[in-house]
Amino acid sequence: MSVARSFGQFYPVASPLHALDPRAKILSTAVLLLGLFFVDSAAGLGLVAVAVVALVAVSRVPPLTFLRLLRPVAFIVALTVFFQVLFSREGETLFAWGILEIHEGGVRLGLFLGGRILLLVSAAALLTATTAPLALADGLEDLLSPLKKLRFPAHEVAMMMTIALRFIPTLYEESQKITKAQAARGADFAEGGPLSRIRTTIPILIPLTVGAFRRADELAEAMESRGYRGGEGRTRYRELRFRQRDAIALAATALVLAGAILL
Amino acid sequence: MPDPASISCEDLSYAYPGEAEPALSGVGFEVRAGEYVGVVGPNGGGKSTLLRLLNGLLAAGSGTVRIAGHDPTTEPFEVRQRVGMLFQNPENGLVAPFVEDDVAFGLENLGVPRGEMRARVRGAIEAVGLAGYERREPHTLSGGEKQRVALAGLLALEPEILLLDEPTSMLDAAGRREVLDRLRGLRREKTILHVTHHLEELLDADRILVMNGGELVADVYPAQLISDPDLLARNYLVLPPLLRLASGLGLEAKKPRTPEDLAREIQHRSPRRTEAR
Amino acid sequence: MRLELRHIRHVYSPGTPFQVEALRGVSLSVGPGEVLGIIGGTGSGKSTLVQHMNLLLEPAGGKVLVDAVDATTLKKSELRRRVGLVFQFPEAALFAPTVWEDVAFAPRRLGLEEAEIGDRVRESLALVGADHLKDRSPFALSGGEQRRVAIAGVLAMGPEVLVLDEPTSGLDPASRQDLLRLIRTLRDTGTSVVLVSHDTDEIAEVADRICILEKGEVRAIGSPSEVFYANPDFAPATVSTVAALNETGWDIGHPVRFRETLRALAGLMEG
Repeated sequence: MSVARSFGQFYPVASPLHALDPRAKILSTAVLLLGLFFVDSAAGLGLVAVAVVALVAVSRVPPLTFLRLLRPVAFIVALTVFFQVLFSREGETLFAWGILEIHEGGVRLGLFLGGRILLLVSAAALLTATTAPLALADGLEDLLSPLKKLRFPAHEVAMMMTIALRFIPTLYEESQKITKAQAARGADFAEGGPLSRIRTTIPILIPLTVGAFRRADELAEAMESRGYRGGEGRTRYRELRFRQRDAIALAATALVLAGAILL
Repeated sequence: MPDPASISCEDLSYAYPGEAEPALSGVGFEVRAGEYVGVVGPNGGGKSTLLRLLNGLLAAGSGTVRIAGHDPTTEPFEVRQRVGMLFQNPENGLVAPFVEDDVAFGLENLGVPRGEMRARVRGAIEAVGLAGYERREPHTLSGGEKQRVALAGLLALEPEILLLDEPTSMLDAAGRREVLDRLRGLRREKTILHVTHHLEELLDADRILVMNGGELVADVYPAQLISDPDLLARNYLVLPPLLRLASGLGLEAKKPRTPEDLAREIQHRSPRRTEAR
Repeated sequence: MRLELRHIRHVYSPGTPFQVEALRGVSLSVGPGEVLGIIGGTGSGKSTLVQHMNLLLEPAGGKVLVDAVDATTLKKSELRRRVGLVFQFPEAALFAPTVWEDVAFAPRRLGLEEAEIGDRVRESLALVGADHLKDRSPFALSGGEQRRVAIAGVLAMGPEVLVLDEPTSGLDPASRQDLLRLIRTLRDTGTSVVLVSHDTDEIAEVADRICILEKGEVRAIGSPSEVFYANPDFAPATVSTVAALNETGWDIGHPVRFRETLRALAGLMEG
């Protein structure tokens, strides 16, 4: 079965980026995502963009595939640019037609904001494309564990991610089966307007939900009978090792970002 | 002090919350270490409820359960280290998105150190014949393979007791054979309680418990059960076709294992024996 | 109705590295009042095959004929009414608040009058022995009851061919017997039945013709005694026993079903 590549998908190849500790990648991405909001010059954005392009090259994710990963958010970027260009009244008027006016400041701001969103999304896509989902969950649990003192359920969040990863394909297959079973009973999912579309999905959504609850019950029983009692006293099968190269990666990210903010 | 029985229950009763009728009433039996005991009976007869009381997934309404001397209600963790339970639908019992991570799940729960965990995971995966499947995702496996992954997850914990809740009922013929072969290899080494609708899976069990209407209605040897048409009928049990043929021909005494056995038996008994070459 | 499949081919993910040829030219047919048993294990292509019978899947090659008419020329809704398809574990698609409403789903989609819908629902529930469940929630039933209600949901369309994929899997022996009885009843009222199963003992008891599917091809098709006696690795216990006796020089004929086999063997014991 071919599943369309989309945002957030892991691209399983061997690369220096794939080999980094997930915690280093999560932290770098977080730093970048926050820091980008303080970058206020085109030159700064340009510097980050150069860095991101370089990282995509290092990640061995084919550039076209990477662009396809970004496609789902292209619409949001386009919308942002569109609104800025259309509604900003700053700077020189470049074009006027009736009530429609396009100002130089609007174009500049639109491109800047669009570029920023694109970089934010690229950084996130780079993280998920180079980090196996399970490693991502492990890394998050580890990074969030200091928050356990504040009663933040770090282990539970990671366990939920793991279980979601495990059951998403199963539920997807289940939805295909149910769709076919209802089609065999005469359900037609292509016909009608939006309202009747919603109505025709009910015979799929209800059994899918009921099935998911049944699965959850059985999963809970199985987990309990296998000795699960929360994160307390648990050891981990997968090892996370923060090596020198992880520290270097993190430092490099911070450095580039600092440069971008100062520019 | 003599070794405590592996499993023992006395006057065990349980009613699901909000249900007037008890799901289980007055059930008592013992299973010795290393025994292989089958549990049969119609759906709703109390088989699954019984298994869930044995490993503390449900707490007994009245009566007592002891697993190697431990009470599953007050010492669930003690009990679950000793008891592995295999469920009907393996799909819903696998927790992790990769085979090896799933097999490790129980070990992680017990806090086993990583080095030891690696060795035990590898051993358990090999024991169910799935070496090379470590990085496979459960949803890409066949039913029989999923159930073997679930079994590996139990074996990694080195339990003394296996509770099997219709582990083959959702599998096709090939999957059933795979799983039964692996389970057969564990006899004697483990104490096994095996719930199933397929009597042919229990022909070489040490004993068979028959449950109906929440009660333990018989605790018999397989040979006793298959030669008691009345006991079978009252509990909606159906003999496998080979045994039905044999009993239809009045050949109860010797139980055929294969069609060839039955053919030999017929030849031996037939007055037309001399006709054949 | 006569349903015929001619040289059906099916390829999954064509043109990709994952390309799999699931069906390689399968031909078979089933006629009114006949039960065609299809035996096939994992990877035989049986689940792909049944989805071609009402064109939920389109063949890459070959034709599906409904009373000699090319099925692609029929309206989809018409085809799916006439060829009822019950998937494995069909209870997973129950969705309505009551059994009655769930069974009424398909006849409603056909745009029938309310009175006609009521009749259809009553009849189908009676056929599967579930009339007493009509006001219950389908989610509160036992596994065996859910299975029967789900089958009634397809029967309510009034199909001329009923295709059942592993209808007894996961059921207890009593529920299995109920289902086999239902298949016989349907056959006796002139419905064509296609029964897919890996349980040869079970299929031998109800099928009028047998098809063995292997790796996407028909390995054998014909009367049960022809097919089973020529393919010992797929034979039910009855056939294996008789074959073992025939091998030693006895001639007992070629019984397949339990009763006829028992009769033939009992004759031997009496001399």
